[in-house]
Amino acid sequence: MKIYNRYFITIAIVLLSTTVILIAAGQTSLDIFYSLYVIEALIVTELFVYFNKKSRRVLNIVGVMLFGGFGIVLCLQVLKALLIF
Amino acid sequence: MLRRNSYSWTGLGLLVAGIVFLSASFFIFHASWLAALGICLIIMSFILLALRKAIPNIPPEVCSLLLETGVDNMAALIEELGIRTKAIYIPSSLSNKYPRAFIPLHSNGSTPQITRALPQRLIARYGSDPEDIGLLISTIGSAATGMLETKPGATSNELESALTSLFTGRLGIADGTRVTYQNNHIEIEINKPRLETDTDLSHQCLGGPLATIAASVAAESWDKPMQIAQEEQRKGKYYIELEVLG
Repeated sequence: MKIYNRYFITIAIVLLSTTVILIAAGQTSLDIFYSLYVIEALIVTELFVYFNKKSRRVLNIVGVMLFGGFGIVLCLQVLKALLIF
Repeated sequence: MLRRNSYSWTGLGLLVAGIVFLSASFFIFHASWLAALGICLIIMSFILLALRKAIPNIPPEVCSLLLETGVDNMAALIEELGIRTKAIYIPSSLSNKYPRAFIPLHSNGSTPQITRALPQRLIARYGSDPEDIGLLISTIGSAATGMLETKPGATSNELESALTSLFTGRLGIADGTRVTYQNNHIEIEINKPRLETDTDLSHQCLGGPLATIAASVAAESWDKPMQIAQEEQRKGKYYIELEVLG
């Protein structure tokens, strides 16, 4: 179970650090927050290569869900840009 | 149904906290940083709730009880028979189904040559001589080998990857391994092992749990019998030397 704890602690540190850094930098756009969270979560998950098949499968499902949200954010941004023009 | 483990409760806690933060930021405080924190907590809760399905249901204490019982019975059997010879770890191709340990009951100083598949019995014959018999037993290495997704190839890199995946990813009993192979000897270095080893007679015969697992996986990789030549723990590392037989 140690590897799962380590994985979760890594994800928590990375995401919370990003939150603090972006807030300190004066960032207010939630799209940017969310996009960075998704990218970081996917990268950290890929770095933990020694998960078993079951763990990888459930984490892939979470990855797809998060990526779906990222896609929606991207579509909304494109729509917004098109409406401006 | 929700499995009641710490991951479930922490995941649910984070999910509720995330929703509360997100709602509060939109309806009360109108603060984007609070909303960002809420999103962050919700993502972490998704990950924890997904991981709860992957962690084992059986508490570690129960696993420890089962392991101790098996090891005690094996130690009693070996001590009663007064066996002094070292076990030979044989691949599944020579022992049917999965790799096992073979303990010769008689030894004339030379290592037995096992060239054909042994019968699936506790007392197995490996040669034509009346004294060519031994105990064919399953060890924790036999079961651990079954946890590997694919059979590793006969190279030090593939064995290293398989052992790291097993020790670090599946069993969580070490932080990593390093494997080198030369002149029919495989040297394995295990970083930060977290499994205690006894020094009783069964340990001298079969080897420690880490060495047992390593020998079984190596036997399966090389598809040849293996023997634990040496094992020792020093400076937070566990060193195992395996000899490739045959």
